Amino acid sequence: MSVELVAYAAFFLTMALTYAIMCLGLNVQWGQTGLFNVGVAGFVAIGAYVSALLTTPDTPERFGGFGMPIAVGWLGAALAAGLVSFLIGALTIRLRADYLAIATFGVAVAVQLVALNLEPVTGGPFGIGFIPRPFADLAGNPLAFSLANLALLAAVVVALYLALERLVRSPWGRVLRAIREDEAAARALGKNATKFRLQAFAIGGGIMGLAGAAQAHFIGFIAPDNYVPMLTFQVWAMLIVGGSGNNRGAILGAVLVWGIWAGSAGAFAALFPPGEQARAAALQIVMIGVALCAILLLRPRGILGEERVVSRHLGRLSQLRRAGPQPTDKETSRAGNP
Amino acid sequence: MNPQALMDGLITGSMIGLGAVGVTLTYSILRFANFAHGELIAWGAYFALAVAGVLGAVSGGFLAPIGPFSFGWALPIGLLAAVALTGGLALVVDALLFGRLRSQRSTVIIMVMASFGAALTLRSLLEFIFTSKPAYYTQALQIALPLGGGIRATPDQLLSLAVAAVLVVAIHLLLTRTAIGRSMRAVSENPALAGVVGIEVRKVVRVVWLLGAGLAAVAGISAGLLVQVRPQMGLDLLLPLFAAAILGGIGSVPGAMLAGLIVGLSEAFAVQLIGAEWRAAIAFVILVLVLLIRPQGIFGRPE
Amino acid sequence: MSTSQPALATQNLVAGYERDLPIVRGVDFSVRKGELVVVLGPNGAGKSTFVKAIAGLVPIHSGTALLGGADITDVPAHEKIRHGLAFVPQTENIFATLTIEDNLRLAADILPRERQARRIADLYKMFPDLAARPSLRAGQLSGGQRQMLAVARALIVEPAVLILDEPSAGLSPKIVGEVFSRLKSINQAGVTIILVEQNVKAALAIADRAVILVEGLVRHEGPAATLADDPIVAELYLGVRHERRAS
Repeated sequence: MSVELVAYAAFFLTMALTYAIMCLGLNVQWGQTGLFNVGVAGFVAIGAYVSALLTTPDTPERFGGFGMPIAVGWLGAALAAGLVSFLIGALTIRLRADYLAIATFGVAVAVQLVALNLEPVTGGPFGIGFIPRPFADLAGNPLAFSLANLALLAAVVVALYLALERLVRSPWGRVLRAIREDEAAARALGKNATKFRLQAFAIGGGIMGLAGAAQAHFIGFIAPDNYVPMLTFQVWAMLIVGGSGNNRGAILGAVLVWGIWAGSAGAFAALFPPGEQARAAALQIVMIGVALCAILLLRPRGILGEERVVSRHLGRLSQLRRAGPQPTDKETSRAGNP
Repeated sequence: MNPQALMDGLITGSMIGLGAVGVTLTYSILRFANFAHGELIAWGAYFALAVAGVLGAVSGGFLAPIGPFSFGWALPIGLLAAVALTGGLALVVDALLFGRLRSQRSTVIIMVMASFGAALTLRSLLEFIFTSKPAYYTQALQIALPLGGGIRATPDQLLSLAVAAVLVVAIHLLLTRTAIGRSMRAVSENPALAGVVGIEVRKVVRVVWLLGAGLAAVAGISAGLLVQVRPQMGLDLLLPLFAAAILGGIGSVPGAMLAGLIVGLSEAFAVQLIGAEWRAAIAFVILVLVLLIRPQGIFGRPE
Repeated sequence: MSTSQPALATQNLVAGYERDLPIVRGVDFSVRKGELVVVLGPNGAGKSTFVKAIAGLVPIHSGTALLGGADITDVPAHEKIRHGLAFVPQTENIFATLTIEDNLRLAADILPRERQARRIADLYKMFPDLAARPSLRAGQLSGGQRQMLAVARALIVEPAVLILDEPSAGLSPKIVGEVFSRLKSINQAGVTIILVEQNVKAALAIADRAVILVEGLVRHEGPAATLADDPIVAELYLGVRHERRAS
């Protein structure tokens, strides 16, 4: 019994860690840079499909696969999702902040459509199966298999975490924060600000692609249904709960929200008769939606909050001092908001 | 090329246009892209469904078709009720969520994120109450009348087109000829100055929600009447709405309507060429093209 | 109302954008009916925040603001104009995307319907430049004309008190002269005016009285004529204007 329990715990944690990777990617975009991505599911899907195409054995009824090693698949996934992020970012990052949101939403819709309809490549509604799983030769021993996968994902998350922490504390990361916190700094940097934000957006998108690949290989099959707006919403909830701008929070939020999600699914399912399970799922989403809005209202910086909140406060103070008796236009309009 | 695509495009386009007018108004006054606008469309459709259902249960007379149309008086009455109820829903969401975020001086992007959360909540609530099974206002089948030139349309379709046209003209006149319209344009340009001039910005915000939600309800009921009522119907329209609002130029009512028709017609003609399964991609292509070539839209001013 | 009642007064007014950071730190201030008072002070003294607080655009933390004896401290910004207090902000003080006519009608909308057309006609008579092209988008006006439109819009409701935040900002000296002489004649027609200014010389030339704010407090006040040569003004200003150029 305890072996099964450990295997299940390992499975649960491994899934949570794939979400943690998505969250880390989103944190680069939103937490560090303030760029809003409403199409997380689309970028994750790109990674999943690209890696599946690269690594599955050649299948006569569809394009590919190419039977490449898993590592190549993951790398390709990150590059492809990063490239799409770069292109969408290049298109919208100079425009109003919410145009990026709308465009990423469009990406998610378009990717979903391609996954569903471009059957010769994506397998259509049935998706792609038989995606090679890491440590497949251990499959005979479920415990060893689960633990090996968990170890692999944990290693990926730790490596990403360390790399991102380095990045945040590097001059590059400091510039990003300055751009996010201080409009004047962003303006002073001009074109460069756009360049920095674009880099961050592409890196974040690439990490989401990697997450999609890791998840696809862990589960072994993918289908368009896995990449609906609900996924975007979950990842957002994870980051918001953990605290945007905080990498440790992103990981913790992923595990926590995934736990709540998996746990409450059982609870909601138990509340409804077997014929009404769709309702139970809907109500579960309602609850999470209300919770996300409540967090935005009550603790917009997340439950764990952001590291180095002090710098933000000081930034605001200095802005006020500078503005002094003749506040900038921004402040004038702020003051008059309803 | 099938001339019928012209009719189909106009009909879809008029629904997209009505929704996009709401998006453009709320966007220009509240200053954020409201991802929950699609949900107002779906809620409008379901409000009408519920009210019409109750009326039909009270008396079968409400269900007897009016003239050449497929529906009885239950639906027009349901529409009026739905416009009011959807407006009320928008005000409630504003009071609970957006209004509070505004008073906390939240950034645009927090507002967008909140609207994303609100959208999922509202949509799932519909799924919870009505399940995701499609519903219909009427079971009656209508014969499409030949209009000449190889184009056919049902009386219901022609009525939706007429209603959309009347509403857009009315909204345009409201904005350009009345005091509340002037106030709305003023708040859209500079809310702080609007306050100084004596405009109660909160009142204008309420009017904008009522207008946007009312138009959304009408669009939803048209879509429900001509196609079907589903919880996802608003989500499916969201990208076309945004594409049309941006193509028309944020804040421009004639622009949003014209762009809605452009998006609708493009969809209809593209479907002829590449197949119906790709319909949803058209709005994305249009969106990308607008952002690439003229991000301020047809009638917008560059920022 | 007795004639001794001040047109506008503040008592120990504390205001600022953030509660823990008051910029105006307890100002006692009073303007007689028909007076033209200029509020001076170095950059960062809180002049602009002070008048914005009176206008309802910056939160008042404590103290009171009285208009003709009535407490307007907690009256929201959009209601102040109905109490007879008009405010012309420093920048973006007209609706650039609206026509001249619509800018004026917008202000007239709060009047009873029968007075609206009448007041707009009055203002057109007063500012013939604006009457010449009522359907021109206000954004196409020159700096001086914009300032005139903003003043005209503020006057539509026949306010008891008109507050202007740096009307000379960004204008050439010649236009400043025109705007200021216009303000003087509006004042002489009976409107109490409070003027926040950096342009000390031009402002003191038309003002009856001046109040000098420093670091959110009243540092000095007196008749404009004597202040023009006051060493305090020189001390506060000569250096400051220098610094302003440099920044």
